[in-house]
Amino acid sequence: MRTLLRAMRGAVTAVALSALAVTAASAAEMKGKIYYLVPTLLDEFQTGSIDAITKFMGEVGYEVVSLDGQNQSATQLNQIDDVINLKPAAVILAAVDFDAAKTGIEKMRAAGIPVMIFDRQITSTPSDLTSVAGTVEIGYVAADEAARLLKDKYGEVKGKVLQILGDPGDPYTLDIQKGFEEKMAAYPGVTIITQPAMQWAADAAGSIAQDRLLTDPDIDLIFNHAAHLSVAVAAVLEAQGKKPGEIMMMSSNGAPVGLDLIRKGWLQVEVEQPMFAQAAALAMFADKVVNKEEIKAGNYDVTGLPSVMTIESWGPNIKIPGAAITKDNVDDPKFWGNMKPPADPITPVE
Amino acid sequence: MTDTADTRPSPAGDSRRRAVVGFILDNLVWLILIVVALAFSAAIPNFLQIGIFLNILEQSTFVGILAVGLSLTLIAGHMDLSIESVMALAAMVVALTFGTGGAGGGLELHPAWLSFPVSLAMALAVGIVIGAFNGLLVVRFSINAFIVTLGSYIVVRGMVVALSGGRSVYGLPDAMRVMAVDRILGIPLLAWALIATYIIFALILTKTPFGRHIFLIGGNVTAAFRAGIKVGGVVMATFILSGALAGFAGWLLSSRTAGATANLGIGMLFQAFAAVVIGGVSLKGGQGRLSGVFAGVLLLSSIQTAINVMGMPPHYTQMIQGALVLAAVLLDTFKTTIRRHYL
Repeated sequence: MRTLLRAMRGAVTAVALSALAVTAASAAEMKGKIYYLVPTLLDEFQTGSIDAITKFMGEVGYEVVSLDGQNQSATQLNQIDDVINLKPAAVILAAVDFDAAKTGIEKMRAAGIPVMIFDRQITSTPSDLTSVAGTVEIGYVAADEAARLLKDKYGEVKGKVLQILGDPGDPYTLDIQKGFEEKMAAYPGVTIITQPAMQWAADAAGSIAQDRLLTDPDIDLIFNHAAHLSVAVAAVLEAQGKKPGEIMMMSSNGAPVGLDLIRKGWLQVEVEQPMFAQAAALAMFADKVVNKEEIKAGNYDVTGLPSVMTIESWGPNIKIPGAAITKDNVDDPKFWGNMKPPADPITPVE
Repeated sequence: MTDTADTRPSPAGDSRRRAVVGFILDNLVWLILIVVALAFSAAIPNFLQIGIFLNILEQSTFVGILAVGLSLTLIAGHMDLSIESVMALAAMVVALTFGTGGAGGGLELHPAWLSFPVSLAMALAVGIVIGAFNGLLVVRFSINAFIVTLGSYIVVRGMVVALSGGRSVYGLPDAMRVMAVDRILGIPLLAWALIATYIIFALILTKTPFGRHIFLIGGNVTAAFRAGIKVGGVVMATFILSGALAGFAGWLLSSRTAGATANLGIGMLFQAFAAVVIGGVSLKGGQGRLSGVFAGVLLLSSIQTAINVMGMPPHYTQMIQGALVLAAVLLDTFKTTIRRHYL
């Protein structure tokens, strides 16, 4: 028994020493640890963003640890409290709730931790860098594409659009709705029916489409606020004997399933959030953010996309344009839905 | 001697009155469903059409089948909170195996129709394994079912996310989409699956010794044990059946959505609970009828469909569902009082 205990003690010591050695070696190679607070793992864009941020930050010398907020702002605020005690080099925040995150950002900055905002723009309090495509702007791009599709069909912009939102408690979907409806207001001949899919559930989106097509069989276009919702809606259309394209469909976020649906003809347009570029921009400026150096306004090339850095009241803000993906350009590797991250390593901005 | 009319009800009339009152009380939820359907038909443009009623039936399938499993465990004096996650896992396993798009593995079987029974067997196996695990912890280790199945609910949803890596899967083979696409006598196969499930389990509950044992155990476990009923075995079987039904619901759901997402079916547990309570299943165990649960499921689905058709903000769905559950509990108390006084 004593021998066994001695052997176990020896093994534990060996493991602890090797762990220390590994940690020391890593610390020597890496510039520090950055925490990425991701809002949920139930969304392909978010899980994809973890891989992209980890890869790009690794290329500029930072180790990334991701924490899942489980779509609950209270959970994310708790994570912020915990992370403050760990004194990371910086925190990347994709907020569950834009407003609720404000106090958390203020706490982190007060503790001397730089905060980078990813994808979900927060303008109510200063942060150290914001990298977004702009959710309202995604709505604008979607509106332009909807207008184009309706014009192609009727020769003028008119018709009926079913807009299926995500969860009505998620500001992300509400911003896209805002942008979409703001621009579509210019076309009085277009009727927009809006229904939210609670908790972003694909089956709920399918049911909404199924019910609405009975009461409004003249729907021309369905706009889903995420590609995974389009999968269920396409399944319902298929079950009803509709052919691809018979009812036009578009969605936003540019997930791989959306691109596949374009190839199969069910989707006409996918409005992409340039996830790779958004993540790469954070890595390009990471050193400046961590070292609290000045970030200059101007035009930057982010993974080949022309992007504009402005200095706003909430801090440096880099905006990367979202793109409309159609059958013509669906195979372009720059779209994150094609799952081909840029091969060239990220170069930090001097 | 003066002739006076006897105002007391005759024994035959009294028994008829009791029968009528008893029937109404037993089927109150059906009456409510009919009233609600009539009100929606009168008030909402385009609601009154066969297609809408078929949608209500078809969209009830998943919550409806989950509610059967939940009812079994509740009547036996326990509960199964893991059903929603088990459903999602079964759907994801099937989609990951046979799906051709997204994270799907794209397994092809020859002949192609084999994917239908094989995927069904896989989904049922997922449900049975998790149901057996839950049952084992509840029966063998005497851990409270609430704790055990809450743990499973969380772990299994985590497995869905982990297995898929958060990615969606779609592109199931045509043989597996039969349930979502085909109809018999104009009624979707999904709706037939729902109806068949209710008939089979209503018969099991009312016409077999196993069903009667579930009621006895839920009503008084000590008495059931003393009567020689194998309490542990019956309780274990209810958890396995509940898991298998959740697996079956997941298989059907993957067919409807032509794949699976990490958040598939989220929120259905609470709808199933609402339907079961509205349907009159006692949370204390020992009481409940699947016909009531079926009406409860249809009632919730009718409200959801009405909201979809009206374009009402969905926040109202939750408010209405919550109010219905509270009303059902109050109604249950009211029914008990009436029974005590008049039956």
